[in-house]
Amino acid sequence: MTEKTVRVGFSGDSKELKINPPDTSPPAWDLDSKLAVVGTNVPRVDGPDKVTGRAKYTYDINLPGMLYGRILRSPHAAAIVKSVDTAAAMKMPGVKALVFAFDESKIGEKKLRYAGDEILAIAADSPERADDAVRAVKIEYDPQPFVVDLDDAMKADAPIVNDGKSNVRGKNPRGDAAAVDAKLAGSSKKIEATFRTQVQTHSALETHGLVVAPDGDGIKVWASTQGVFSVRDGLSSNLGLKAEQVRVISTFVGGGFGAKFGPGVEGVLCTKLARQANAPVKLMLTRKEEHLAVGNRPNSLQKVKLGADSTGKLTAISATTFGTGGVGGGAGCTIPAIYNLNRDATYKAESDVFTNAGSSAAMRAPGHPQGIFAMEQSMDMLAYELGLDPLEFRMLNDDNPVRRAQFNLGAKEIGWPNRPKVAGGGKADGPLKRGMGVAGTLWYAGGGKDAKADVEIGKGGEVTVYQGAQDIGTGFKTVLAILVAEELGLKPEDITVRAADSRFPYGPGSGGSTTTPTVAPAVHAAAYAAKRKLFEALATTWQVKPDDISAKDGKVFVASDPSKSLPFKKACAALTADKVTGSADREANYDGYRGNTAGCQFAEVEVDTETGVVRVLRVVAVQDAGRIINKLCSESQISGGVIQGLSYALFEDRIMDKSAGKMVNANFMEYKIAGPKDCPEIKSIVLDVANGRNSVGAMGLGEAPVIPTAAAIANAIYNAIGVRIFELPMTPDKIIAALARKEGAKTA
Amino acid sequence: MSDSSDDGARPKSGVSRRGFLKGVGLGSVAIPAAGLLGGSVVLAEEAPPKPSGPKVFTGEIPIKLRINGKDHDLKVEPRTTLLNALRDRLDLTGSKLVCDRGTCGACSVIMDGLLVTSCMVLAIDAQGKEITTIEGLASGDKLDPIQAAFIEFDALQCGFCTPGLIMATKSLLKTNPHPTREEMQDALSGNICRCGTYDHIFAAIEKVAGGARG
Amino acid sequence: MSSLPVFDYVNATSPAEAMGQLGAGWSEAALYAGGVDLLDLMKERLYEPKKLVNIKTAPSLKYIKVENGEVRIGPLVTLAEIAAHPELQKSHPALARAAGKAATPQIRNLATIGGNLCQRPRCWYFRSEDFPCMRKGGEKCFAKEGENRYHAIFTEGEPCVIVHPSAAGVALVAFGAQLKIASSSGERTVDIEKFFVRPKDNVRRENVLGPKDLITEIVIPASAAGMASAYIKIREKQSYDWPLADVAVVAKLSGANVEACRIVLGSAAPVPHRATEAEEFLKGKPLNEENAARAGELAVKDASPLEQNAYKVPLFKTVVRRTLLALKETKAS
Repeated sequence: MTEKTVRVGFSGDSKELKINPPDTSPPAWDLDSKLAVVGTNVPRVDGPDKVTGRAKYTYDINLPGMLYGRILRSPHAAAIVKSVDTAAAMKMPGVKALVFAFDESKIGEKKLRYAGDEILAIAADSPERADDAVRAVKIEYDPQPFVVDLDDAMKADAPIVNDGKSNVRGKNPRGDAAAVDAKLAGSSKKIEATFRTQVQTHSALETHGLVVAPDGDGIKVWASTQGVFSVRDGLSSNLGLKAEQVRVISTFVGGGFGAKFGPGVEGVLCTKLARQANAPVKLMLTRKEEHLAVGNRPNSLQKVKLGADSTGKLTAISATTFGTGGVGGGAGCTIPAIYNLNRDATYKAESDVFTNAGSSAAMRAPGHPQGIFAMEQSMDMLAYELGLDPLEFRMLNDDNPVRRAQFNLGAKEIGWPNRPKVAGGGKADGPLKRGMGVAGTLWYAGGGKDAKADVEIGKGGEVTVYQGAQDIGTGFKTVLAILVAEELGLKPEDITVRAADSRFPYGPGSGGSTTTPTVAPAVHAAAYAAKRKLFEALATTWQVKPDDISAKDGKVFVASDPSKSLPFKKACAALTADKVTGSADREANYDGYRGNTAGCQFAEVEVDTETGVVRVLRVVAVQDAGRIINKLCSESQISGGVIQGLSYALFEDRIMDKSAGKMVNANFMEYKIAGPKDCPEIKSIVLDVANGRNSVGAMGLGEAPVIPTAAAIANAIYNAIGVRIFELPMTPDKIIAALARKEGAKTA
Repeated sequence: MSDSSDDGARPKSGVSRRGFLKGVGLGSVAIPAAGLLGGSVVLAEEAPPKPSGPKVFTGEIPIKLRINGKDHDLKVEPRTTLLNALRDRLDLTGSKLVCDRGTCGACSVIMDGLLVTSCMVLAIDAQGKEITTIEGLASGDKLDPIQAAFIEFDALQCGFCTPGLIMATKSLLKTNPHPTREEMQDALSGNICRCGTYDHIFAAIEKVAGGARG
Repeated sequence: MSSLPVFDYVNATSPAEAMGQLGAGWSEAALYAGGVDLLDLMKERLYEPKKLVNIKTAPSLKYIKVENGEVRIGPLVTLAEIAAHPELQKSHPALARAAGKAATPQIRNLATIGGNLCQRPRCWYFRSEDFPCMRKGGEKCFAKEGENRYHAIFTEGEPCVIVHPSAAGVALVAFGAQLKIASSSGERTVDIEKFFVRPKDNVRRENVLGPKDLITEIVIPASAAGMASAYIKIREKQSYDWPLADVAVVAKLSGANVEACRIVLGSAAPVPHRATEAEEFLKGKPLNEENAARAGELAVKDASPLEQNAYKVPLFKTVVRRTLLALKETKAS
């Protein structure tokens, strides 16, 4: 290791940093690096496949002799399976296999815990016949008491969903409640409010599912997954196979958003069907199953207290939150600490509440959109209490130079000074009133150490990068091409990308916005290693030292000797072997500029005060994600996050009927997802920050942009109409009711 | 008015009404094939269709579909949707099955010049019609300008909605080559993108249309 | 995903041939035109007819004819065709708008006006096989005590609280349309208001059609010619959403005054709902803010909303007022 100095930060705040990278690492890119491809707009490498319909997603894999699987699920919120009669189903035409989702000997005592819980699966020779067969299974159920509502489940006499005496599972609170309450009591201004957010389903357009084909003594699997390797490991351990016996391919994935890790129950069932029938089986879930059984963002009930002193400095925060992730946990709200508050001024108590509904799964920034909805509205409330501009109040309490710069950028872009200074006091166009709101956020995602990469240079100049992780729509494959192109002085289209296959070098699951930050340094190093091998071969030919050689603009050359310059392809002819491969492990992160990323969003809305309809007119989203590898796809991530955040803010809601314990809107008609006509004008601004934590310095971007949107819209609604909406989704019924309460209060 | 007595709540063969209605002891899976709305299984002694009547198609039947300018012979049941015929029988998997109810547009194709959701069309009923799917837009390696613009403006992320949105765009620009932003929004409002690419799609359309009109 | 059940399939080349294929019971055979509603019900296995009778092969059922102020529409005309019809856009804007605002471009290209009028309710309890509701032969209306934010506000005496899903139907009621219905016993003409059936009269069906009946023509009488009309729909989501409230108004205006009018509320009741008291009130009065607002109030006077949909009451007040005032901008030419 040799100590090196890099300059980190961004235009508004930079510093020099001593780093100690391994000697195998390529020179680290820092704030002063002039890069040719990295950070530019690069169209995604798989674009042509996707726009022509050629891209084969898991759902599109058709194999000779393939069967179709379908799962039979509980129609009851809670029930004991008394008996199962599969005789008629097995006699149906085309039925080839049937497997249970639980130990068959447990029939008579097996408890199903939610409507959608798996019972068994059948494979038949057409999807229609698989459906017919599943419907022909006769099951006797003994329905049990159930509860699907958060508040009901917290009651003392609620039916117990899992085990124990209560459905409420509190985590250890952080902080001293009494001390924090005392600080709040001593604050010159304080607010106290209760917020609620709804259950959101991931609703990736490609449903969960797999195609499993017997392959020698193992299996070949196509999976719609965020984790090629977690599917491999899950299936191999479940079936007692070695990891090498399971090959998983996910060349194209129709969205994930956090719900697609591991093989899932459907993966295990599909594999068992394939092995029983000794034939390939495709098992893709239906839209309804997708809503019921494979994950969701838990709802929340958040009680927040926030105080400030007379100068506008925050004094204390207290947050007590509950949420239900159905039969699973994970309902913490993570009210994030984006403002300057000491630990002793903070009290947080989070509880999971079990209900008879499908288990939650991590969903794009788990806990954060909920927490920020409460936190950033509380900040707004306190700002108005203090008589301060909500932005000014945030600046007073935020010492993160990146977010401060972002607040300024965003405010300028949206025209913050043009908002109504008094909430609800803006110029009205008839019943239409406009307002603006802001919300800040943070995310982490510096990447982990678990990644390897191979970069191969062929004698004919072909360059191929091998990396096993999947591209769930983020543009990860394009990132691989860009990194290799940068290091070799080529264009991204010169690089062949081989990804999303468990036979390629290990890569992480796409979660926590870590894929690019984790993999990028390994790819960078592998490209560097491959380049060194090429240079070594050329050094012999040219009689120079490898260090004298450079690669840039499609050429390989010796800077001091213009006679020694070749186009890349020709230079590769110097290789003695058919190809050379650079392989690298991901280096560990060193200390960098900051360990987390910052972001903020501004929204402008128009509210029809008579109909309660909210239209979001504009959103300005400013986000840092360390070093931006591909500006084009980064902006897509941001605007996509905004649209999904808007959808969460205004429309989406998993609605359960309390008396039947079932979801009433398990479809795409009544589970409402924002469409083209709901899309505002979006300005995505990526703030490039050289963070110096590794040779690339990329940070994650997938999750952060979805976090602050709902809060920014809520604050904009308040600014427009002078009424605060404490509950998501902010639908017309809630707006109308809130305005009526305000009217009532005025006349009372 | 010929409101028949067969509108209602008579029990179905094999299932007591009580058991069915309470949903106790019987899962939804046990509801028999007669369906919930069909009323009772009718035992009316109706005359069988006259031999001179129209042909009744039953079971697997040979059909011919004209897709992207090419005729395809295949066998389907009457219940096979156009989407399933494309995807499962002809391996034309560009049109996606997403909501299965005509609500998301991912399966959109152009049939006799009209944009339709192929999950809500029966394959047998699509015979004799000119069907264009996403696979039919590019000629060889030459992309349709809409496809090229979608790539250029990154109007796609996971890409699963993309074929449907491109077909909807194709249908729009055919009748309205210079749409306003609002006309784009209206024309695409039958399509859902979960990744949130709409604004990039509008930019792509504006490029193809040679700038927006208003 | 959820496959269709097995059925036989027949192409009918004429209305008579179609009727010959229908059975005495609903489970025998179903008419298949646009198929949007039918296939949806069948995929959910709510309806499993043994045979589908395709009537799109009967060309005599697809036309729009405007003669001497009378409009005659064949039941196979699609919503897209009505929305884009240049003459209707001018003469009957409320109908063109209602058709053009329904569903999505894809669905409007498939869905026929006949099927649209006959479509079954969108109530989420009715539409899911998980809920054996009264309309499906069960014992209870789940919506009454359940999730009813999108349900009816005119619920007095109703055992089931659906809202009628047809937006075109709202406009057609406002125009006083007549439906010609063919059956094996001949043809009859039914006033569209009498076509729709309230739950208290028959909780299993939404209209008077029997299993062997076929709508052969929709007629908007010449008396509606020259009237002003308007239609406004309010929805949560601007891309493809069912209305929270929609209103069609057809009025005979004489200068600034309303000579006569029909005000119809959609998404308010199990059938398109006439606001007769508001109609009476406006007779002979000037069409201004104040009177339109008063009409809005009268339109919801008898509403008895459910636990989650009280918001619809003020909403309908607004939409009735706005639709009335929109008449000024959309006078028929």
